Amino acid sequence: MPDGAGGGRVSRAPSLRARLARTGFADASRAADLWESGFLAGVLAACEAAELDGGSTDGGLGAASTALIADVARAADPDLALLALARLGEADPERAERLTQVLADPAGARRNLIAVLGASVATGDWLVAHPGDVELVLRPRNGVAADPANVRTQLLESVGADPDAAMPVASVRASDGALDEMRRAYRRALLTIATEDLTATDPEAFLPEVGAALANLAAAALEAALALARAELSDHGAGVRLAVLGMGKTGGRELNYISDVDVIYVAEPADGLSDAAEASALRTGTKLAATLARMCSMPSREPALWEVDAALRPEGKNGPLVRTLASHVSYYERWAKTWEFQALLKARHVAGDADLSAEYLAATRPMVWEAAGRENFVEDSQAMRRRVEDNVPPAEADRQIKLGRGGLRDVEFTVQLLQLVHGRTDPSIRSANTLRALQSLSAGGYVGRDHAAELGACYRFLRVLEHRVQLYRMRRTHLLPTGDDDLRRLARSMGRSPEGEVAGATDLVARWQATRRRVRRLHEELYYRPLLPATARLSADDVSLNPEAAKARLQAIGYRDPAGALRHIKILTEGISRRAAIQRQLLPVMLGWFAEGPDPDGGLLAFRKLSEELGGTHWYLKMLRDSGAAAERLATLLSSSKYVADSLMRTPEAVAWLGDDRELTPRTPEALAAAMNAMLLRRDDATDAAQAVRFLRRRELTRGAIGDVLADVPVTTCAEVISPAADMALAGAVRIATQTATAELGRGGDPSAFLVVAMGRLGGAEIGYASDADVLFVHDPHEGADPKQAQDWAVLVATTIASLLGKTGPEPVLPVDSQLRPEGRQGPVVRTIDSYAEYYERWAQGWERQALLRARSVAGDAELGERFTALIDPLRYPADGIDLAEIRELRRIKARVESERLPRGVPATHHLKLGRGGLSDVEWTAQYLQLCHAGQTEALRTTSTLGALAAARDANLISESDAEQLTAAWELATRLRNAIVLSTGRVSGQKVDVLPSERGELAGVSRLLGYHAGHARDLEEDWLRTARQARVVMERVFFG
Amino acid sequence: MDRQQEYVLRAIEERDVRFIRLWFTDVLGVLKSVAIAPAELEGAFSEGIGFDGSSIEGLARVSESDLVAKPDPSTFQVLPWRGGKHGTARMFCDILTPDGEPAAADPRNVLKRALAKAADAGFTFYTHPEIEFYLFQPQENETDPLVPIDNAGYFDHVARGQGHDFRRAAITLLESMGISVEFSHHEAGPGQNEIDLRYADALSTADNIMTFRSVVKEVSIEQGFVASFMPKPMAGQPGSGMHTHLSLFEGDTNVFHAPGSKYGLSTTARQFMAGLLVHSGEITAVANQFVNSYKRLWGGQEAPSYKTWGHNNRSALLRVPMYKPNKGQSARIEYRGMDSAANPYLALAVLLRAGLKGIEEGYELPEEAEDVVWELSDGERRALGIEPLPGSLEQAVETMERSELVADTLGENVFNFFLANKRQEWTDYRAQVTPYELARVGLI
Repeated sequence: MPDGAGGGRVSRAPSLRARLARTGFADASRAADLWESGFLAGVLAACEAAELDGGSTDGGLGAASTALIADVARAADPDLALLALARLGEADPERAERLTQVLADPAGARRNLIAVLGASVATGDWLVAHPGDVELVLRPRNGVAADPANVRTQLLESVGADPDAAMPVASVRASDGALDEMRRAYRRALLTIATEDLTATDPEAFLPEVGAALANLAAAALEAALALARAELSDHGAGVRLAVLGMGKTGGRELNYISDVDVIYVAEPADGLSDAAEASALRTGTKLAATLARMCSMPSREPALWEVDAALRPEGKNGPLVRTLASHVSYYERWAKTWEFQALLKARHVAGDADLSAEYLAATRPMVWEAAGRENFVEDSQAMRRRVEDNVPPAEADRQIKLGRGGLRDVEFTVQLLQLVHGRTDPSIRSANTLRALQSLSAGGYVGRDHAAELGACYRFLRVLEHRVQLYRMRRTHLLPTGDDDLRRLARSMGRSPEGEVAGATDLVARWQATRRRVRRLHEELYYRPLLPATARLSADDVSLNPEAAKARLQAIGYRDPAGALRHIKILTEGISRRAAIQRQLLPVMLGWFAEGPDPDGGLLAFRKLSEELGGTHWYLKMLRDSGAAAERLATLLSSSKYVADSLMRTPEAVAWLGDDRELTPRTPEALAAAMNAMLLRRDDATDAAQAVRFLRRRELTRGAIGDVLADVPVTTCAEVISPAADMALAGAVRIATQTATAELGRGGDPSAFLVVAMGRLGGAEIGYASDADVLFVHDPHEGADPKQAQDWAVLVATTIASLLGKTGPEPVLPVDSQLRPEGRQGPVVRTIDSYAEYYERWAQGWERQALLRARSVAGDAELGERFTALIDPLRYPADGIDLAEIRELRRIKARVESERLPRGVPATHHLKLGRGGLSDVEWTAQYLQLCHAGQTEALRTTSTLGALAAARDANLISESDAEQLTAAWELATRLRNAIVLSTGRVSGQKVDVLPSERGELAGVSRLLGYHAGHARDLEEDWLRTARQARVVMERVFFG
Repeated sequence: MDRQQEYVLRAIEERDVRFIRLWFTDVLGVLKSVAIAPAELEGAFSEGIGFDGSSIEGLARVSESDLVAKPDPSTFQVLPWRGGKHGTARMFCDILTPDGEPAAADPRNVLKRALAKAADAGFTFYTHPEIEFYLFQPQENETDPLVPIDNAGYFDHVARGQGHDFRRAAITLLESMGISVEFSHHEAGPGQNEIDLRYADALSTADNIMTFRSVVKEVSIEQGFVASFMPKPMAGQPGSGMHTHLSLFEGDTNVFHAPGSKYGLSTTARQFMAGLLVHSGEITAVANQFVNSYKRLWGGQEAPSYKTWGHNNRSALLRVPMYKPNKGQSARIEYRGMDSAANPYLALAVLLRAGLKGIEEGYELPEEAEDVVWELSDGERRALGIEPLPGSLEQAVETMERSELVADTLGENVFNFFLANKRQEWTDYRAQVTPYELARVGLI
């Protein structure tokens, strides 16, 4: 420090500034100015005068002054506290002296004032405007500990109402000053609560008292507002009994400093039960309720308190504001949704007619505790959970204290769900207060003790955080601020550690994030862990539910056979094996994930089987334990897709892919070909080799299926996974079959070149999990080969291919179908390319041109493939399109197919392939456009349906919207067909092509496609609409 | 067991009710009824009554025919005309699937969905129907000509008229069933009567219309006549329309009312009307669902055949009735297209959604028609841009088929069924040979 010699102010200044900067003032020079002038200078002088020795010590300041500065520096925001002190001292000269005394007295209550002013700019403003209230801060009385009745009396008396009257009425009208009186009384009470809160040694432990005091205060304010509202009416609304019930945090006695106060109103005529009396009571009651809300929120000289929110009432914002008791009851009996009962759990009398409130509670409480038995409880509560998580604007997601995953709402949801599930049979856990409910759940043995304690701690931390954020400006907010200064102030206002240290901004954010993560985990621990049998407890604090409670809990989240589920859980977790030990860790969270899928029971059973299969391997459980993503994926797969569950059972090593995203991306055709080559090189026996090819295909299908289930069944899987797998299988089969045939017919080499041409949807790379492979076989005898022998060889190759891929065996079949060949079943299985040329030249019919549009050479001799393509291109892309006769014939065939091929008993609207607006409608339309225009428009020369539609749109052959509707129907039908296979595990039979009508099946399929639970019917509507629209386009474009 | 249900059970015991009729409506608006004994009722409340939906027009989804009728206890009423010591009572039912979801094809559910859509936008929909019907002498056999019970005209007072007794008896019954009647009078046709129900929310209105039809039928049988809601029972005489007054409320405020604007109509009202006009063609098949309906629409006698609106213009499809300036709450518009044979649930649903569409999209209301539309020449109408409603059931079906609005309102299943059913009706009708044809060309 430069110099400390002089005692004068000028020379002391730099040193004071430095000291202030050191002790934590952000703007030290402004702070020094404040200390050195006006009121605060006087305070310092008073400090020094009080010190008898008068000797200057450090930096020219006396010990007393130093202590005062240190005290101010301990405020959450020292600069803020200092400025507020200065303003306060100058606001009211009459009190300046008293204030100076207080501040100069180290043993006095100055710390209260500093703590409050340093944490809340709003309180500072209030005190400057109402200097008399400083006394409340210095000697808070009856703040947190106040009896609710006292608070009520205080507020009622502030408006001149008699607290003992049955219907208290304000003796002064609101406009004559009573409203402002009431608000001042409210603020004063709020100030005492805030003071006690901010000066508490352990604010988190103190939180429950603060929340209760705030709720009591809000209730008292509502009572006073009602008294004011009655005073507005000429007869004081004497004809109506009005009860105000507090909901939400008000009801649970866990209110925060400022938020909407949720209420419900009940009105009854004071005497007489005639209809007229009731109607008039409702009218008056509505008036009272509306006025009451205005008293709390309308602008006046003193600031508004908060909004009174009655949106939780029956029918929400559209319902009448006030109802009679009977009307409430009949609503809850008939219309109320699960969440409304969950909300009712918190209802409590807060103002107005206490007897009426009691009647209301007596009538509605039983319904709350029956809610878990309602039909749609599971879906409703899942939807509620989603609301908890989804309703956060993305920009706020990282700052929300209340909403979002791991927020306050999440804690409340967990507790309330457990209450609804077990409160049916156990009245001891029905408290409306979150922390008390949590305690009683723990005491009742429904949740583990340490987990409950931990969740309670998380809740208290989050709530104190929220309180501190709100206290700063007394604004309704639940967002963590982002500025460093704000965070620093917040951290310092959270109280001190037992060692007396305050947290910094970084510590606070870290703790907050850790708490949110912890809340998520704790939900699983609380809800699912107690489902494990007693023998599977991880610690002495864990609990194990009795079977009835466990069943209720499983049922409430969607397990249809809870008894069976409990058996699986027991088997999975009991014993001393390493496997059981890991599964005890894993299972609670997996039980929750299974429940999120459409078939939790199936998922759990499949998991049990898989674990029995793989539990002994070194990697399986380790991966699930170490990679949360893999375990969650596995649970999703097992509970939503029988196809994948079966595949994983057969290819257990595929479970390993779940831990590695690269394993789940589709293999390129080249990689597939390489894998196949490698496998074939190692095998001599044809059957054996064919099984290897089929195994490879199955592996790819499994990969595709896993990807599908995890990503709402994208349409691209057909082109990227399923079709390439079939191409690969055909290529492998050609290789094996030519070798076999050549060996069998005893020649030195192949007598002919062989080609497989993919047709139909395989040609378009559009096949699904349950499709056949439509093909043509072509060969071309080498020069000098005997035509007869070459043909025999080719027939043998073709039939061998079909049998290698189609004969039943351990690996799944790929039926090979060559019906689209010339002359159909009557024609030879395979022809030479010359024979094709001759046939097409002489006989080619319209439908054959159409079929050839999809031809794509896929396996065998590539050069032959090119020649074949060159042969058919002029046929399928006629230069001048097709003539009217051919168009007419095409339309006639399509019309006949429609009436003939649709299976009996299947409604045309529900058949995905042949029905109205189904695949075939779209494909014929695309092919019609191709036949007419591909000669001119090169882009139309594609085997892909969607490609052809896009090209037709680009060439203005169809409108943008037509193309869009056709594409939408085709994509949805394709995804549906895949989802049906994935969901049911069925790969053959008629049902694969029909939208399920059985609700359970439809639900499973809809979930795979990304619909929320309970929205299966939306899928049906979507399909029917999309297909209907596509059909309209098809009729216009195709039938002309 | 909730209180309402308990109340019903107690009432049944106290009033010695021996039969309980469970009512619901098929897609065409025909009332269906299944009677159960009081002992079954408790089960019906908790489980519903299962029935085979495939035998009811349009109700079941394909290949899932099991349905459940679950009585709505708030609609419990003793049927007064059954009288006697052992009474009969009725309740309307909601139709559910076996797993407790509302059945998509239940017309009550179609209307509820439309009302929910309105509620999402903050609206409640109020309606007030004026139901016209004829009273005839009973026929000996089906081919006999229809003989009306009197020859009076609009508002005529008929001395010692049987119609008075009839209306008095019907209104007494309706009031005793909790259905308020606004007023009643003799209509323009011989034997034609009109009874106006008091305004109510749309779901109650639809329930009330169904009850109304039964009451009128019962009373007419009692008094020895036949009541008919057929849209056009006699050529050359006025048809039976069901003019319906519509209004939207936001809480307690009528949002059609805007003091000071022309006719006191708010922008919302004008957009709602524009919606009705723009989509009136698409919804005609629902509001006028029978071959016969088009004989009313196009048979003159003041039926609205063109898509126009007017203030006190009786030729307009939409009329803005006069109301006293200080009675803003009664601001409303009157849709005059619907006939008495419509399925009220579906018809009110499509009217509401057409109007809402106008509000959503902010349609502009075209100019008011001040002329009597049917006195204009075709050329004049064309010049004024006045379009006709569909001329026949066939045209109406074709127009409806292209309507996304109607598909969305009815749901795809009901939409499909309705179209198929109406196409069939047209095909059957076309195969008929009528007396008119015989008289005109029979001797060529």
